[in-house]
Amino acid sequence: MVDKDAAFLQRLLATFRVEAEEHLQNISTGLDGLKRAASAAELADIVEVVFREAHSLKGAARSVNLADIESLCQAMEGVFAAMKRHELEFGAELFELLQQASDYLGRFLPTAEGRLGAGDKALLDELVVQLEGVTRHESFGLGVPNTKTAPGSDSRPAAADPREVPAHRTPLGDELPPASEPQASLPVMAETVRVSTARLHSLLLQSEELLFAKSAAAERVAHLQEVVSSFQAWEKEWARILPAVRQIRTASHETPSGEREVSPSKVSGAMLDVSGFLAWNREFIKTLGNRHVTEIKAAAHDSRTVDGMVNSLLADMKKVLMFPFSTLLEILPKIVRELSRDNGKEADLAVSGEGIEIDRRILEELKDPLVHLIRNCIDHGIEKPEQRIVKAKPRRGLISVDVIPGDNRVEVVITDDGAGIALERVRAAVLKLGTHSREKVAELSDRELLPFVFQSGVTTSPIITEISGRGLGLAIVREKVEKLGGTISLESRSDAGVRFRMVLPLTLATFHGVLVRVGEDVFVIPTMHVERTVRLKRTGIKTVENRETVQLKGEAVSLARLADVLRLSPSQPVAAPSELIQVVLLNAAGTRIAFLVDEVLNEQEVLLKKLGRQLSRVRNVAGATITGNGRVIPVLSVPDLLKSAVKFSAASSPAAGASEKVQAIVERRSVLVAEDSITTRTLLQNILGTAGYDVVTAVDGLDAFSKLKSREFDIVVSDVEMPRMNGFELTTRIRADKHFADLPVVLVTALESREDRERGIDAGASAYIVKKDFDQSNLLDMIKRLV
Amino acid sequence: MPSGNDEQQRILRARAAALARVPEESGAEGDRIEIVEFSLASERYAIESAYIGAVHPLKELTPLPCTPSFVLGVINLRGQILSIIDLREFFDLPERGVSGLSKVIVLRSDSMEFGLLADAVIEARWIPRSTLRPALPTLTDVREEYLLGVTQERLVVLDGGRILSDRGFVVHEEV
Repeated sequence: MVDKDAAFLQRLLATFRVEAEEHLQNISTGLDGLKRAASAAELADIVEVVFREAHSLKGAARSVNLADIESLCQAMEGVFAAMKRHELEFGAELFELLQQASDYLGRFLPTAEGRLGAGDKALLDELVVQLEGVTRHESFGLGVPNTKTAPGSDSRPAAADPREVPAHRTPLGDELPPASEPQASLPVMAETVRVSTARLHSLLLQSEELLFAKSAAAERVAHLQEVVSSFQAWEKEWARILPAVRQIRTASHETPSGEREVSPSKVSGAMLDVSGFLAWNREFIKTLGNRHVTEIKAAAHDSRTVDGMVNSLLADMKKVLMFPFSTLLEILPKIVRELSRDNGKEADLAVSGEGIEIDRRILEELKDPLVHLIRNCIDHGIEKPEQRIVKAKPRRGLISVDVIPGDNRVEVVITDDGAGIALERVRAAVLKLGTHSREKVAELSDRELLPFVFQSGVTTSPIITEISGRGLGLAIVREKVEKLGGTISLESRSDAGVRFRMVLPLTLATFHGVLVRVGEDVFVIPTMHVERTVRLKRTGIKTVENRETVQLKGEAVSLARLADVLRLSPSQPVAAPSELIQVVLLNAAGTRIAFLVDEVLNEQEVLLKKLGRQLSRVRNVAGATITGNGRVIPVLSVPDLLKSAVKFSAASSPAAGASEKVQAIVERRSVLVAEDSITTRTLLQNILGTAGYDVVTAVDGLDAFSKLKSREFDIVVSDVEMPRMNGFELTTRIRADKHFADLPVVLVTALESREDRERGIDAGASAYIVKKDFDQSNLLDMIKRLV
Repeated sequence: MPSGNDEQQRILRARAAALARVPEESGAEGDRIEIVEFSLASERYAIESAYIGAVHPLKELTPLPCTPSFVLGVINLRGQILSIIDLREFFDLPERGVSGLSKVIVLRSDSMEFGLLADAVIEARWIPRSTLRPALPTLTDVREEYLLGVTQERLVVLDGGRILSDRGFVVHEEV
């Protein structure tokens, strides 16, 4: 038991040393900076940094029971605090003193085990006394020699008197007489090395690529195994023919003894040769087969070795990149403090689970969303103190950030006890968006309504802009979280507060995925979002309100066909559909939908790869992975799939077969397409032409505007970025002309930009397609709605 | 045999020197460009090789759902994913699916990379830039848009730089 504790303390100390080194480095750099600081502002910034570092070091020392170190850090912190309050000015002497303290720590920490030699202890006490004296007397460092500063200066080595040392950096060891223990024997602090994160990431990526080598090796073994069966087939064939071969052999041995044939010896000689060859051949191939089996064993062994090596390398590599959440969460108290002050609010922050570790790359990407959510809580959640008192709530609001570890994932929950989200305002904003009819919006339940807060279009509304603070919107938060392979959801209760729940993977690039087959296509679905995979009776599909559902654990869940949602071309129907259906229950951000697939193949670790620059973002596809045999398999994006499924069922239920109808209705409608990219122009022309529209194209805004005057058009579809006159200018020109006041204008652009969307709406565009959506039905639906 | 060896050495050296000499043609050096000629739906095109990163046989193509029809799919190119574009879609050429003999021409610039599908790659050769003439009136406007010029033997040379920088090829779609 004691041993265990001791071992634990040892580990703790080792961790402490690494951490302390870091803080100390920063303090040391800060001190140098203080000396060089050109402006008061710069000085204040650095003081803030060193103050925090000293504070953190103090806390760290306390946690490993290094009381002496703690007291020295406390004394240093006190000095920095005084400087922050402008009660103390930074001068050469103060610098020397602080430098001594910092150097002392640097010397002591490598061996820090809680025991101090007598001489060290005296020196430490001396430094503490001096530092505290500085803080008390306030005049130190103002350039006036202050004899009161160091009451114990007589007991201190003379050369170390700060007032007599010039203001340049001198290593402490040169100034001090040797301490009680010889300094030369002290280990140098070199247990950590600084490596650029870029280099580390590239290393990790390369290690992750080894996953490929691992699965390739395993696959190779499987292939070799198949060859064995060929040898077996050969063996069988030989066994069958063996009697015949033997016969020939005996016959050719017998013939030489008196036959009447001409040169019988020649024939039998040849026969003998052939049968001899056959025997040799048999042995040869047998040996080959045996050798093959040996090689397989070796290959299998190699494969296992590679497997083990890659696994342990990856595990270690990941550990290198795992950081505790505290590195991210430590910035929050200051933000909460400042924001509540700026907003005239009072709020406390409670954090839990900050020790949980996660891929550093995720932490980096998480910073903005987290800060945004906290900002949201303070700006719009927490009420002003007087309001809170009226509501019988504590005067100070509470924001909590809880990190909860899970299986291969981690949950970050941000809760405030503020006013909650005004749902009716969200409803109004959704209505304004125009994607849903008034009746439908009215029908939406509170739970269905909340996710709209994350929708990008909703940000443009003034109401929602207020909710989301700086007009950036929660859409960006969701975008970032989903990009990391995570999901975000929220709950809100009026006057009780809002709870944001982010579910994130622990590591970025590799994850476990379930391989599913639909027709001939195979896809990977991240396991993180797979709640269950179930086989059900086909008869279990029930249609409720025009939507297919299945019963899972006694609960009705919407059913979507993966092939339909992905718009795969229908495969040839199999002879008879089986009795059982395979369903994968997907869950993201609180939405659950069961997806019908043909087969669930297996689950394996996969490495996510981007689709390349040309495929910047593809609907429902997050990326791709490469299997051991080099095959590329698309990795599906579950948040996208769920959205698509909802859209699909909405589109298909009321007006099935809409596309045929479109053709009939729009027979003589005319569209003016303004687009500078010839590619896009051609595509638009094809899509619209096929749908029965009369299409006229223009190469830019100016061209379009002049063509508008030449004849009547029912609608204008325009690109945003064009030479001479862009889409916004064109829209503005159109709106400014009373002839065209009612002419619908659809702006289409390749890359999403929130500002563009807002500018488009400002200019008076009727619709804005943020994507190059060549998926015909989408564009055609939009046009159909507008004309 | 020492004299014979010397003789062989001499001949070999002379041959090497002859091979190393850059063939001289009319026109200055800078005016020549290297083009790679390929066939697409029984028509012939060429692209300036400066934009070509590599040429590979098309092996396993994985189609991607929810992409525009001009995106044929993605392939594994030495562990990286490369998207493959079908120019036939833009050139009004008959589509015959992906034949077994297809080639992938990897177009590459600093900011973009994708593969073009070709039926076969015929050859790479140098041509004087001055021999390139403007478009033929028979070309459809898409081909004209991407045209660098037409050679003396009426081979259409596409402008790789313009194809690579056309934002129209970039897929960025949200649900």
